[in-house]
Amino acid sequence: MADRLTAGSPPPPSPPATTPMRRRATALPVRVAGLLLRRALLMAALLGLVFATVELLPGDAATATSVRGESAADLARRRELLGLDRPVLERLWDWMTGLPTGDLGTSARGEPVAALLGGPLPNTLLLGGIALLLTTVLSVALGCWAASRPGGVLDRAVSGTATALLALPEFVIAVALVLVLSLWAGWLPAVTITGADGGLASWQMLILPVLALTIPQTGWNTRIVRAALADEARAPHVEAAVLDGLSPYRVLTRHLLPGALPAITAGLATSTGMLLGGAVVVETIFNHPGVGSVLAGAVGDRDSPVVAAIIALTGAVITGVLLLADLVRDVATGGDAVAGGGG
Amino acid sequence: MDLSRREVLLGGGGLTAAVLLAACGADDSGGSTAGRPSGQPAKPRRGGILRVGALGRAGAITRDPHGTQANESDYLIISLVYDTLTVPGAKSNTVARLATKWEPSADLKTWRFTLAPGAKFHDGSPVTAEDVVYSLRRLRNTPAGASRLPGIRADDITADGTGTVVLVSADANAELPLLTRLTTFVVPKGTADAAIDKAPGTGPFKLDWFRGGNARLVRNDSWYGGEVHLDAIEVKIFESPQAMANALLSGQLDLASNVGALAARTAKGRPGIQTLRRPNDMAMPIAMRTADGPFADPRVREALRLAVDREAMVRQVLSGYGTVANDILGTGDPAYARDIPQRTRDLTKARQLLQQAGFDTARTYELYTTEDIAGLAESATLFATQVREAGVRIKVVKQESGTFWDKTWLNAHLYTTYWGTNDSVVFFAGKTMVSGSGQNETAWKDPAFDEAYRDAIGTADAAERTRLLRKLQEIQHQRSGYLLWGMADGIDLAKSTVRGLPTLPGYGRVRLEKTWLTG
Repeated sequence: MADRLTAGSPPPPSPPATTPMRRRATALPVRVAGLLLRRALLMAALLGLVFATVELLPGDAATATSVRGESAADLARRRELLGLDRPVLERLWDWMTGLPTGDLGTSARGEPVAALLGGPLPNTLLLGGIALLLTTVLSVALGCWAASRPGGVLDRAVSGTATALLALPEFVIAVALVLVLSLWAGWLPAVTITGADGGLASWQMLILPVLALTIPQTGWNTRIVRAALADEARAPHVEAAVLDGLSPYRVLTRHLLPGALPAITAGLATSTGMLLGGAVVVETIFNHPGVGSVLAGAVGDRDSPVVAAIIALTGAVITGVLLLADLVRDVATGGDAVAGGGG
Repeated sequence: MDLSRREVLLGGGGLTAAVLLAACGADDSGGSTAGRPSGQPAKPRRGGILRVGALGRAGAITRDPHGTQANESDYLIISLVYDTLTVPGAKSNTVARLATKWEPSADLKTWRFTLAPGAKFHDGSPVTAEDVVYSLRRLRNTPAGASRLPGIRADDITADGTGTVVLVSADANAELPLLTRLTTFVVPKGTADAAIDKAPGTGPFKLDWFRGGNARLVRNDSWYGGEVHLDAIEVKIFESPQAMANALLSGQLDLASNVGALAARTAKGRPGIQTLRRPNDMAMPIAMRTADGPFADPRVREALRLAVDREAMVRQVLSGYGTVANDILGTGDPAYARDIPQRTRDLTKARQLLQQAGFDTARTYELYTTEDIAGLAESATLFATQVREAGVRIKVVKQESGTFWDKTWLNAHLYTTYWGTNDSVVFFAGKTMVSGSGQNETAWKDPAFDEAYRDAIGTADAAERTRLLRKLQEIQHQRSGYLLWGMADGIDLAKSTVRGLPTLPGYGRVRLEKTWLTG
C-alpha cells in the first residue's frame, strides 16, 4: 500500500518516555479526523491511479472477457454495456460517487462487486488477522528472549535466523510447508476446501497459510523488537533501574517494553500491508478462497471496479491498523505521533 | 490458463462426420466406459462420495447453463445437473442423451429429435418438447447463440407433439446433430433469467448446494439414462493446477480433472494414484497466412511442415504426454484419415522447397504467441529453434492475451493458436478453413477444398461421405495454412479406487455418470 503513515525500518529511536514536554495543542479527536481526511484524499488519488493503470494496460474489459470469434459488433455492444466507451475520468467519478452508498459497482462479467467480494474478503481478513496476531506474539517473545542475553549465543541465533527468514519470499515458504508437512508427513491438509456455508471445512486448513504468512513477518518484526529493546536499554532511566537492582523481568516489563512500544507497533503496523500483499500469493498456493484470486483474475479481466474495490477495502483496513498503531504511539510518547508523525 | 478463450471451443459446437444417418440411436458408447487397466470387468459398486477438483476462477463463476462458462468447474457442475440432447461419444462422435434418436429429411435440412421416454426433471415433472424448444431458443438468443447453433434461427426450433423437437437448418447439413452436443442444456419451459440458478435439471445428479464455485450433487435415482453409482459428487473449484494436484496427493480429492502434464510428472510413481490420459485433447497448430505475405507460397508452408521435428515437440513441449500429428485438424474424429502418410522431418527437401519458392532466408520472421495455455509459448520457441536448421530465421514474439486475440489472431502471417474440440474433421473445415468462414485463421481459399466440404456435408450416404471427407483431409494435409505437429493429451489424476472415469478428450472429461468407487 502506498498509503503508509508510519515509517518502515529502521524504527526511529523514540524519545524517552520521561520527556517533560507534554504538548497537546489540539484535541485528539480533531487530529484523528484530520488524519482520516488526509488518508481518504490519498486513497482517492490512489484509486484514480488504479483506474488509470488498468486503462493503460493493453486491451480492455470487453476484449479480456470476450470469447473467441466474437465479432467486432458484439465487442462494441458489450463495451457500451459496460460503459467502456465513456472517458476513464467519468467512469472513475461514477464509481467513486457510488462508494458512500455502499455501491461498489458492477464487474466486467456483470456481477455486483459487493457480492463478488462478500465471501472472499472475510476469508482474507481472517487469514491476515490470525497471521498478524501470531506475528505479534512470536516476534515480541523472540525479541525479548534474544534481548535478555545481549550478545550471547541465543541472541545471535535468534537474530540470525530472523534475518534469514525475512529474506525468504512467502511462496518459497508456502511450497516448502506443503511439501514437508502435508505431502511427506501427511499431518496437515494441503489446500483449503470450503463447505456448504462458505466456511472452511476444518480449522486445520488455516495452519499452513497462516504459517506461510507469519514466518517472514516474524523474522522482520523480531529484528525490530530486538533493536528497539537494545536502544531502550541504553536509556539512562533503564540503566538506573538496572543499577537499582530490579529483577530483569521487572526491568523488561516496566522499563524496556513501554519505551520500545512505539517502534514495535510501527513495525507490526507496516506488516499489515505486507501480510495482505503476501496473502495474494499464499491464497493461490493453498487454494484459500480469498480476495487474492479475485484480484488476480480482475487484473487479467481489466476489471477496474473490482480491482479498485479490493484496493479500497484492504486500504481501509490497513489505514485502520496504522491509525491504531499511531494512537498507541501517541499514548506512549505523549502526543507526538499523530500530530507529527503523519505523512 | 485463460479459460475464457476456451469457452468458444464449446460454443462452437460444430459439425462432424461419422454421425450416421439413419436413426442414429447409437447407444452410449463412449466417455464413461474405461479409465482402468482392463482385465477386470468388475461390477460397479453402488455408493460413495467422489470429491472432484476442477479449474476455475472465483471472478468468472456462472450458474447459467446457456451462459459463458469460462470455468471448467462450472461446466462440470452444469453438465451433471442438466442434460444436453446428445453428448460426445467414442465410436461415433455424437451419441444419445436426452434425445434417443434423430432423423433428417431427404434434403438434410430438417432434423427431428425424439426425446427419451420417461425423462423427468428433478422436481418430478416430465420433460416435454416444449421445454426443449424453450431451452434451445434461450440458447440461440444468447450473444454467442449464432455460433452455437449456426444456420438455425430461434423460429426454426419447434415442437412436434410432446416427444419430438424439430430443427430446421438454412443449409443442408448432414452433421447437424453435432451442434446439439455441448451446450443444449434443457431447463423447464418459462424459467426466468433471475431463477436460472434454481432451475431443476434432468441430469444424473441433483444439486444439493452451490456456493462460491463449489457444489455438492446427489444421485438422481430416477434418471432415465440408467443406473448412477455414486451417492454424491462434491466439486471443488481450483485456481491453480498445482494446488489441485497437491490436494489430490494429500488425499483431499479423489479426482483432479484436467490437471495437466506437470502434475502427472509430479505424481509419477506415487502409490495409490492413477494417471488418466485422454488423447486428442488439445491442438496447438501453427497458423501460416495463405492469402498474402511470406507464407502465401504453398511450397514455403510445405517446407516449414518438413522442418519441424514432431517427436521432439511432443517430448519437450508436452513432456511426452501427447501424440505426433499430421497437419490435419480433428484427430479424434472416427473419420480421421489415419492412412494418409505421416509427414516426417526432411531438412534437405525443406531447403530445396524454400529455394524453389525464392524464400528470403536473410530476413527474420516473427512468430506471435501468447501464454493462455501451458506449452503454447514453449511450442513457438522450440519450433523457431528447429526451423533454424532449415535456414529459416524466426523470432518469437510473446503477446499479452487480450492483444493477441484482438490484433494478431486472424491477421498475423505466423502465429500459434489452439483448439479444444478435436473430434471432428468437419468442425474445423467449416469453422476455420472453408472460404469466408468466420474464423479462417490462415485466410485460406481453396476451391477444391470448398467443394469437398460442401459435398461432404450435403451427402446422406455414409460411405460416400467418408470418401469425400478423406479427400478433404488430403487437400488439408497437402496445402492448408496449418502446421499441426502434435496433439496434447488431457490429463486427469485420480485415486486408484476410482473406476469408470471419462476417456474422451475435451468436454468429454465431465462424463462422470458411470463413475464408481471400489470399497
